Amino acid sequence: MLDRRLKLLLILMMASVVGVAAGLFGVGGGVLLVPLLVLLFGFEQHTAQGTSLVALVPPVGILAFLNYANAHQVSWTVGLLIMPGVFLGGLLGSRLAQKLSPRRMRRVFAIFLFILGIWQITSAWLIKNN
Amino acid sequence: MWYLGVVLMGLAVGVLVGLMGIGGGVVLVPAMVYLLGMDQHTAQGTSLFFQLPPLGLGALLIYWRKKNVDLWAGIMCALGFLAGGYFGSKVAIGMNSRDLQGAFGIFILVAATLLWFKSRPQSGEKESGA
Repeated sequence: MLDRRLKLLLILMMASVVGVAAGLFGVGGGVLLVPLLVLLFGFEQHTAQGTSLVALVPPVGILAFLNYANAHQVSWTVGLLIMPGVFLGGLLGSRLAQKLSPRRMRRVFAIFLFILGIWQITSAWLIKNN
Repeated sequence: MWYLGVVLMGLAVGVLVGLMGIGGGVVLVPAMVYLLGMDQHTAQGTSLFFQLPPLGLGALLIYWRKKNVDLWAGIMCALGFLAGGYFGSKVAIGMNSRDLQGAFGIFILVAATLLWFKSRPQSGEKESGA
């Protein structure tokens, strides 16, 4: 019991750190949370993903969002248009997740993210346009 | 046509949301920057905006039925995200867009590395899902 409480406390601390990154980069944080739950807390992969989805149900980004909204850095039209697709796609993807090899999926996704990251860094700091 | 493109983009990202148990912002932010030509801050603000409603709920129910959810750990993560997000967004808004874009790239690389490590075989992990 104590062990479980300690673990939850540690998870809270870890999530606060991930939350800073989430607010900094305008993401939900699941992309860091899922691997950290598995690597640091020994969660089984599917449980880590399900738990991450729980954390994203309440509007946890609201404080971060309000900061961006006050700075006029939100595109309302695009945001609204994205919502239905993400919901429907989420249903589809979670069914797919039960069928595919999770290891291979993660590898493909990791490589995809890696390319995306290199691209972001290159276009931000290495290419001198405008 | 432009609207339809954004809806389809949401759908594609949604599949990833269900598949990987993430919020989707990590993919949508670069997509908005490169495909829609948005500035980095606005893309991040919009990403936080579209994640306000519980879009992952449908996906979560499917994980829930398979008992792949740790509810309390999820609640702890939500609390951490709420607090952390506030401070992270404060930092982001003070940065210039180009540096933020590059920093986002580094963030994705870290996430990709974590995912890659996690995708290595672990003892007791099933080779294929379901």
